[in-house]
Amino acid sequence: MLRYIAKRILIAIPTILIVSVLVFTLQQLLPGDPVLTLAGEERDPQVLAFLREKYRLDDPIPVQYFAWFSQVLQGNLGISLRTDIPVLTLILSKLPVTIELAIFAMIIALAIGIPTGIISAVRKGTSVDYAANVVALSGLSIPNFWLGILLIMLISVRWKLLPASGFVPPTEDLWLNIKTMLMPAFVLGTGLAASLMRHTRSAMIGVMRSDYIRTARAKGLLSHVVIMKHALRNALVPIITLSTLLFGELLAGAVLTEQIFTIPGFGKLVVDAVFNRDYAVVQGVVLCTAVGFILMNLLADVLYVLANPRLRHSR
Amino acid sequence: MTDSVATATAADVIDMAAQRQSPLLQVENLSIRFDGAPLGINVVDNVSFSVAKGKTLCIVGESGCGKSVTALSLMGLLPTPPARIVGGTANFGGRDLFSLSERERADMRGNQTAMIFQEPMTSLNPAFTVGDQIIEGILRHRRISKAEAKERALEMLRRVRIPAPEKRMRAYPHEMSGGMRQRIMIAMALANEPQLLIADEPTTALDVTIQAQIISLIRRLQDESGMAMILITHDLGVVAEVADEVVVMYAGRIVEAGSVDAIFEDPQHPYTIGLMGSVPSLGRRQGRLATIRGTVPSAEMMPKGCRFMPRCPFADERCVNDAPPLAELEPGHWARCWYAPLELHRGGIV
Ligand SMILES: Nc1ncnc2c1ncn2[C@@H]1O[C@H](COP(=O)(O)OP(=O)(O)O)[C@@H](O)[C@H]1O
Ligand code: SF4
Ligand SMILES: [Mg+2]
Repeated sequence: MLRYIAKRILIAIPTILIVSVLVFTLQQLLPGDPVLTLAGEERDPQVLAFLREKYRLDDPIPVQYFAWFSQVLQGNLGISLRTDIPVLTLILSKLPVTIELAIFAMIIALAIGIPTGIISAVRKGTSVDYAANVVALSGLSIPNFWLGILLIMLISVRWKLLPASGFVPPTEDLWLNIKTMLMPAFVLGTGLAASLMRHTRSAMIGVMRSDYIRTARAKGLLSHVVIMKHALRNALVPIITLSTLLFGELLAGAVLTEQIFTIPGFGKLVVDAVFNRDYAVVQGVVLCTAVGFILMNLLADVLYVLANPRLRHSR
Repeated sequence: MTDSVATATAADVIDMAAQRQSPLLQVENLSIRFDGAPLGINVVDNVSFSVAKGKTLCIVGESGCGKSVTALSLMGLLPTPPARIVGGTANFGGRDLFSLSERERADMRGNQTAMIFQEPMTSLNPAFTVGDQIIEGILRHRRISKAEAKERALEMLRRVRIPAPEKRMRAYPHEMSGGMRQRIMIAMALANEPQLLIADEPTTALDVTIQAQIISLIRRLQDESGMAMILITHDLGVVAEVADEVVVMYAGRIVEAGSVDAIFEDPQHPYTIGLMGSVPSLGRRQGRLATIRGTVPSAEMMPKGCRFMPRCPFADERCVNDAPPLAELEPGHWARCWYAPLELHRGGIV
């Protein structure tokens, strides 16, 4: 098992290298002289020369890449043009917010998606199943921004139940923090719940048809044991993988929702950086997102093996 | 001494008489249809048979004849829908299985009745150890501690001759061969000492060398426990060896039934004769069922007269138009053919 994980990590390394090359190329593709971009408003030739020297812009491109990448490996992602704050510091301050949002959303998605998936699989072909599918389909087709705005208008503006925006760190006021996270997490979570529900349903239907379910019933086990133990245990294997990947997507995909609810997370950081042409930040964020994605994939693979006795032993 | 022998013999006689009067399982006029099949076409049609305590009934017939559907209906394991029991009763120990509630049926499954299947490779849950899967079935029906259940599971593994049973308890199904997995299935099925074991082609998926081992294992366990068995098999050699009674099914109907001696020594239905390969033009006997030209008709193509008509070398006008009844040729020997007993109609043809 440890060998398998080590092997997976080794395989992830080239992927990360390729991503780093792409991110570096992004910098090369930026219009104009990167020094001018880096220098911002500054036009002092001495400063420009200093920057040119610092980023080795006169060296061949591969040398530049290695210089940049060795900086990255040391945790130096550059300095934000607009705020003069190191990109890494910016990212580290925003990431926890997004992770909190993603965890909340994931909990909501799992709590809705898996039980409804199970129920509609067990009640396949009945009105319960159709109703769940209709709701899931609407969940998938309603855009997040629209649902977000709708919720704000109803719950915050009309009924004044929850704050429409304004993030409060959990360290400051945990209850208020949860209240502000609830709606955006719901918006993100319901979209995922729909796809989790559909995957749970089809995984459960497949498993319920298998011979070992018939064996479980032949033992006289009651149907809730057959479903919740024998079937779910096997159906969950692909669901765990999917959930991990969805979680990775949540981290990157919360952009719009964070904008709507003005949550100062990762998504908002990207959007602001793009609008401000704060390339160092964009680059840092892209790199982090890509690495995060690769890590989530890695985790998904490892969990898949862990959940699968057959693989657990043979690796 | 003489006295006690005499008493025992008398008791045996009474016991045998009682068995003859009330079999453990009596199936009468069982009919099953699948939703979507043409109207009036049942996948199992008017099937009746009985199994006495401790005895073995073999059901033979080609694939698709309704053997598994019959077996699953007795266990209450048919998928309903699409399957539907449209008629008949199955009296087991004085109760009609088909009128029990789902809960009552579940209480019987794996307890008074047990079943093993054709597919040992896929019949065990890949996510749990075999020990846990056996223990689970024991705890479901017995009020004993987990430790006692584990002890019982170990004992069952020993009885089905699993080497190193303590170690095997912790193994997952994928770590075992098909033959070993079928032994596990048998251990699981017999753990609660059922009165009736239904074995649906338990060796078809196994290597030839393993097949004989599994059959003799089942036989031995049956002798030890005195349970009755319904064995569905393709292997006429096995039938000859283990059966007390034989039912031959074709296209959902019983075409011939009788004692193993009657069926082997004096087969009367052209299909049975074909299976035995005793008519050269119908193919040679090869241990398994001999091949007969053609295939079992699908529900859509079911002939309205005798269902075997398209493949029968003796078929004539009457067979095309009218379905023959299952007639008792001699006490306990039944056949569904207009021309049975054949000797009577086509002297010397067999
Ligand atoms: N789930 C099902 N849905 C529709 N038809 C079925 C189903 N299961 C079995 N059948 C039909 O029932 C017939 C008998 O099947 P089965 O009892 O499995 O045959 P066998 O004698 O080989 O065990 C087959 O012709 C098959 O088409
Ligand atoms: S009734 Fe006719 S077709 Fe059917 S088995 Fe007998 S001879 Fe053949
Ligand atoms: Mg079958």
